[in-house]
Amino acid sequence: MRTHDVVVVGAGLAGMRAAIAAHEAGVDVALVTKLHPVRSHSGAAQGGINAALGNETEDSTDNHTFDTVKGADYIGDQDAIEILCQRAPLEIYQLEHWGAVFSRQEDSGKIAQRPFGGAGFPRTCYAADLTGLVILHTLYTVCVKYDIPTYEEWFVTDLVTDDDGNAVGVVAYDMIHGTIETIGAKAVVMATGGAGRVYRPSTNAHASTGDAMGMALRKGVPLKDMEFMQFHPTTLAANGVLVTEGARGEGGYLLNKDGDRFMTKYAPNKLELASRDVVSRAEATEIMEGRGIDGCVMLDLRHLGRDRIMERLPQIRELAIAFAGTDPIVEPIPIRPGAHYHMGGVHVDNWGAAPHMPGLFAAGECSCVSVHGANRLGGNSLLEAVVFGARAGEASAAYVQEHSAAPKVPSNAAAETQARIENLLARDKGIRQSEIRDELADVMQEKVGVYRSGPVLGEAKRTVTELRERFQSVVVDDKGKTFNTDLIHTLETGFLLDLADCMVTGAIARTESRGAHSRTDFTERDDENWMKHTLSYLDDGEVRLDYSEVAMTKYEPQVRSY
Amino acid sequence: MPATTFRIFRYQPDSGETESYHQDFQLEHGEKTTLLDAILRIQNEQDGTVAVRYSCRSAICGSCACKANGKTVLACMTQVEHVKTDSGQEIVQVDPIGNFTPIKDLVVDMTPFWEKFKAVKPFLIPDGPAPEKERLVPKAAMEKIAKESKCILCAACYSECNSLAADPEFVGPAAFAWGYRFAADERDGQRKNRAKLYSGEHGVWDCTRCMFCNERCPKGVDPRDAIEKLGSIAFQEKVTSDKGARHAKAFLISLRTGGKLNEILIAPYTDPIGAPFNAPLALRMAQKGKLPKSPLTHRVKDRDQVKKLIKNVKETI
Repeated sequence: MRTHDVVVVGAGLAGMRAAIAAHEAGVDVALVTKLHPVRSHSGAAQGGINAALGNETEDSTDNHTFDTVKGADYIGDQDAIEILCQRAPLEIYQLEHWGAVFSRQEDSGKIAQRPFGGAGFPRTCYAADLTGLVILHTLYTVCVKYDIPTYEEWFVTDLVTDDDGNAVGVVAYDMIHGTIETIGAKAVVMATGGAGRVYRPSTNAHASTGDAMGMALRKGVPLKDMEFMQFHPTTLAANGVLVTEGARGEGGYLLNKDGDRFMTKYAPNKLELASRDVVSRAEATEIMEGRGIDGCVMLDLRHLGRDRIMERLPQIRELAIAFAGTDPIVEPIPIRPGAHYHMGGVHVDNWGAAPHMPGLFAAGECSCVSVHGANRLGGNSLLEAVVFGARAGEASAAYVQEHSAAPKVPSNAAAETQARIENLLARDKGIRQSEIRDELADVMQEKVGVYRSGPVLGEAKRTVTELRERFQSVVVDDKGKTFNTDLIHTLETGFLLDLADCMVTGAIARTESRGAHSRTDFTERDDENWMKHTLSYLDDGEVRLDYSEVAMTKYEPQVRSY
Repeated sequence: MPATTFRIFRYQPDSGETESYHQDFQLEHGEKTTLLDAILRIQNEQDGTVAVRYSCRSAICGSCACKANGKTVLACMTQVEHVKTDSGQEIVQVDPIGNFTPIKDLVVDMTPFWEKFKAVKPFLIPDGPAPEKERLVPKAAMEKIAKESKCILCAACYSECNSLAADPEFVGPAAFAWGYRFAADERDGQRKNRAKLYSGEHGVWDCTRCMFCNERCPKGVDPRDAIEKLGSIAFQEKVTSDKGARHAKAFLISLRTGGKLNEILIAPYTDPIGAPFNAPLALRMAQKGKLPKSPLTHRVKDRDQVKKLIKNVKETI
């Protein structure tokens, strides 16, 4: 059996940053990823990463903290948000020292910063509109330099625990060689990204199926705040591809069919740069009330001019031309809100450690610390991935150094998975995973979207329950061992179904409107009853909810307006 | 609604078949269906064994490069209807990228690609310790490597590379684009060493300048331009003992002295040791009238203009 001190599952920003931190702390760490590291979805992040460097105007980590607390609609843990914002400048400088190609100021040569939604100051560092790609590549080059062992195209199927309930490794399917193997470890860091594929359209990659959450949930680890899914205000109508908030940060307008800048009504001060939940609701309202065009509103960049678009937003132009047939230099882009980022995730503390399972850590979008609360600010996700990725890496290394005994990895772990998969492959008749997945994504989009209500959520719950039952007779077309994507999609669909159930169940229970969770039957925020995190467990296939406290430091909840 | 026949390359090692073949799938699809969406629909609706790499479907993860009617594209950003009009064919044939060994259907063994990428030392090696804050870099200096920083490592350039087809050890376009990205990064301290590392056998001078990498790169990285810029860096760093570098130098000397190319002098300058062994070939070429009659070619009249041109070019690189 292969073993390492620390196994990191997922090799996007959080995973690679964790592996680098663990490596630097002197432990034997390996990355396991179902893709190649540079294929990870962090690379699709466009607009930027926040840090109060104060390069453009005076700024402070306190300002950043306050903006994030407010953006989260007061349900983010304030101690965690302070950590996030205080470490932000250090992580940016670290990335720069490793070679990240950040865009620069004209005269000083310092890192340039642009305005972003929900932020009081221009605080978002960027590399044109390829910020995620540049940081992903930077971290990968460091992993290459450190020669960190990486299991590429190994799909992790299970989290492995010992008799005492400690995390002691993973089971994974080596897609190229067609084998199923156990990788033992003294600590496991989960960093598999979000579960945006619960919805369609979605800005997320096909691979964003929330695997870590699904695996942890099945091992009794609770997931936190699953009802909070962020809908990004600007996604392309054709296929949900993201158009960066940087487009509005650079000065883009949102227009309805009458050519009105409708954000003047909904957020008179911040306009297009209100936080994402506010802008997405405004768009949904405009479209619902008949002021959209074919289910869209327009993002107008024309007044920025060709030069600025080519310099700051080249990828947006390329994507708009390829997928919408629209050149933003000459015409506005039709856009609409689309599922984008999941605030919820594996319940972890400020070090990324799961309180319910020793040896398990999680970081990035698959985790919930919580720093984003009910609504994440643009530019804070890449930041969270590197800050809490680094902390989870450091904490896992420290954990390994304290628990130096060899992990007691059950010898039958891989064999159990193998038997389960052979069982699945033996089935000849049944429903294909793609059918279930499409139906799930459609019902979530339609009934658990920007606006929600009790009765409609109830309908969604019934459909999800029924789909989970039908999934019991799923059939896999491909019976082979090599690169069996049909098998992988089927396993992913199993995760998506469990996660969707947690999302819907949490949403039904939360009878208030907060951040991205907006109920038409409970339109106000209810701090008295709902200033708390939702925890979801899976008991015998049924979702059970519990709640935990929100950490407060010095920011009292206020009415939230932009 | 258009209907298209997709002729997909199949190689299914698990089935016991050792030969590859093409299989036709019919699909009705929308006007704006991408090639990737079409393949995924075939996978979901007709044959779950079809294997393809993909993830982001927004032209940034670099997974889904393949050949559509012979031309390497990212499947996710290519419209099926465009493939048909572009190639003038009604059938869309989908093949794996070239210059790699198939593992299953459109999935190829990328190992050599990643090895070459790693071989160019693709990480920043600065001189001295880092400052407390960010290093200050003029905007223009950072923009110098902006194009190469956009490389998504999709290997479309390797698929089309003629040098690679002739020499599988050739380091290749994407890796060199990354090489340039570091060599030209003013924060890096290894410019000269990188120039040496990228020269020699299978190095920058082995590029045939066919320009296909520039042509087919879906992100506008222009790897051939990066290779050319690495050539310039080699000269600036005086890493010029390489045959390829000597060849380029011979061009320059010839231009400077006569104002035009003197092909007879270029060969011995490029490879003084090897050239005499090619004398029989030269003789045969002379007999067939493929060589200039005299080694002393005409000098162009206005050589000052040529010098000005050379100066201009030098200043712009």
